[in-house]
Amino acid sequence: MTLSRRHFLAAGSAVAAAGLTGCGSRSSLGGSNELSMWTWVGSVNDDLIGQAEKAIPGYDGMKLAMTRIGSNYKTKVLTALAGKSLVPDIVAINDDVATYFPNADQFHDLYDLGAKELEKDFLPWKWKWGVTPQGKMMAYPMDTGPTALFYRTDIFQKAGVDIDPAAVAGIAPDWDAFITLGKKLKQAVPGSAITDNITSIYGYRMAQQSKRYMTPDGQYLGDQDHVRQSFDLAVRVVKEGLSANAQNSTDKNAVVTNGQLVAYNGAVWWAQLGPKNAAPKTKGLWRVTAAPGGAGNKGGSFLAITKYCKNPKAAFAFISWLESAKNQAQAFLDPVLFPSTPASYTDSRLSAPDPFFGGQKIVDVFAESAKKYPGAYFSPYDTIIDTPIGAELVNVEASGKDPDQAWADAQHQIERELTRAGAI
Amino acid sequence: MAVTSKTAPAAITRPSAAAEKPPNKYRQAFPQYAAVSPFFILFAIFGAFPVLFSIWISFHSWDGIGQMKWVGLEQYRYLLTDETFWKTIGNTMIIWVLSTVPMLLLALVIANALHNATRLRTFYRIAYFIPNVTSVVAITLVFGSIFSNNFGLLNAFLRSIGVGEVQWLTSPWGIKIAIATIVTWRWVGYNAIIYLAGLQAISADVYEAAKVDGASPRQTFWRITVPMMRPVILFTAVTSTIGGLQIFTESRVLFGDTSNIGGPGDAGLTIVSYLYQSAFIKNQFGYGAAIGWALFILIVLFSIINWRLIGGNDDERLTRRAARRVERRIAAQNAKREAADVHANVD
Repeated sequence: MTLSRRHFLAAGSAVAAAGLTGCGSRSSLGGSNELSMWTWVGSVNDDLIGQAEKAIPGYDGMKLAMTRIGSNYKTKVLTALAGKSLVPDIVAINDDVATYFPNADQFHDLYDLGAKELEKDFLPWKWKWGVTPQGKMMAYPMDTGPTALFYRTDIFQKAGVDIDPAAVAGIAPDWDAFITLGKKLKQAVPGSAITDNITSIYGYRMAQQSKRYMTPDGQYLGDQDHVRQSFDLAVRVVKEGLSANAQNSTDKNAVVTNGQLVAYNGAVWWAQLGPKNAAPKTKGLWRVTAAPGGAGNKGGSFLAITKYCKNPKAAFAFISWLESAKNQAQAFLDPVLFPSTPASYTDSRLSAPDPFFGGQKIVDVFAESAKKYPGAYFSPYDTIIDTPIGAELVNVEASGKDPDQAWADAQHQIERELTRAGAI
Repeated sequence: MAVTSKTAPAAITRPSAAAEKPPNKYRQAFPQYAAVSPFFILFAIFGAFPVLFSIWISFHSWDGIGQMKWVGLEQYRYLLTDETFWKTIGNTMIIWVLSTVPMLLLALVIANALHNATRLRTFYRIAYFIPNVTSVVAITLVFGSIFSNNFGLLNAFLRSIGVGEVQWLTSPWGIKIAIATIVTWRWVGYNAIIYLAGLQAISADVYEAAKVDGASPRQTFWRITVPMMRPVILFTAVTSTIGGLQIFTESRVLFGDTSNIGGPGDAGLTIVSYLYQSAFIKNQFGYGAAIGWALFILIVLFSIINWRLIGGNDDERLTRRAARRVERRIAAQNAKREAADVHANVD
């Protein structure tokens, strides 16, 4: 066939048509020897990714092609999945992993790829979060977010409180005692607060519970006592004047920088986002101890292999290598991801004393929290339920809305949205 | 056989008919159609298809990946009874008024000043236009720290002059004023440049004549500048309306890091941010599409209002109005005469 103009045009339009319709066998993104992966910035250790980009350990013929998505991560993943074409082989999923459960058929069952053998290496509750109520393992654990109490020793000393972590844990074993302690701190140092805002108290109290908003078989729990009590606790902290009323990120950072926030029940990642970033001058003044009200977890992410994956075995080999106890310990150093593998907690790289916390081995505190956390079922509708409650709590703190009215409004809104979503 | 013998001669008698017949009309025009096709193809893919598809989606319940479930008009029924949706319309309108009115007034004043500036003209023009080409995200982050409740620059200033602080980012009006301020700051220079172009088109003769007649500067402004600028002002009013109904980024970035992108009490939740929240945060694409179509209807309504207020040729309208007036007068006269006739008959 000679290359006439007509042939050229015909070939060109055929290629264009193929490109537009996305036809052909290439439904997963990247070259045939490349495993494509999407994640957001700061969710993986760069050195480890660099190794896998040369060759996947155990699969020398395959290499990783990593894309860090700057913003609107979830929207982009959903768009790729909805497009059914050029879908990445591996995607990271945040702690809203349950919202993907209704579409679990979009992902490989990791139990089929040999995940069962590795289950014993992980925190049981974290592992369970990646498994659908039908028993399919959709997502593989990455990091976790165990909670603990952060506090400022200099302020505690001014208030005449023993600053030893064990002693603080003894003084404030539950939230009532913590509020009493907060009042004492506020008396000694006016303006002191034990939370940045009302939703933090609510969120971290909920993070300690063994149940959340729904049962695995879809029964709504969001109007029950454990939720209402968390709601009332948050309102009480505000009424006692112990919240800093910091609703946006500028204010949240500012209350750490100016020392107004003297104690905070937060997740492990707050150590970096809070004091280390916002108040570097307070180095050495912070300590961590067991949180009032018990162990909890907030945040933490997962990895999933999409059904479009060109080589599921290699993909599983990669994610199980990336999330091994040894490599999770490395990811704790950078970018401070707390491991979901208990074997990492004794790794010398984690258990080194942290000078920011006065040489305390803070990992011990968080490891304890991670091991004791009871775990709770996250339903696909938790985000829908959580949003109105959070918004109404802000109304209570920011504009003085009556708490009972706020609770009623939140429940009304949740009922409407759940009905529409077909959940109840 | 009879049939073939009938047709065969025709073919024989006109052997060259096929060759002489003009070529297929469509075939002949093909190159022209091909030449203009890129626009239509791209428009069909990126314009028409999404629009039509969004109508289709709005009749479904869809989370973006799974099966689409037909729900008929259920999304629209929910929309009409959705307090949040009505609230977003109110928010959008308030923010629109709060931003557009001061913005256009300020732009007119700035344009006047720029028009009369004698030194550093280009510098001033660029300086006023820069906010418009600055990244909105950067702008909003800066304004976020200005309006921040406890540690914002504005509240620090208010405290220093002894005025109590305002909860800019948590009170319903504070939020709207903050958003409107960002919008105003961003677009005032753009509108000022357009007004400046309008000002420069007004002939100096008119002003000279006014001066000779002893008009004060204020009279000149209100009686010459503003009337002659009317088309330009109308243009900016229309573009600001369209922009105002689609306010989104400012509230999104101001409250993006909180649990609720509309801010406390949804006071900063605009129609488009509610659409975004429904479709891309809650993954209810059907409902998001329904909101999009409600917004479309709203924009059509506003366009009709605009068109009635502004649209059409002025003279034509005046003529029509005069014609109607005459018609009414004639009708009235006729009625009077008829009434008189009736009276006459009765008498």
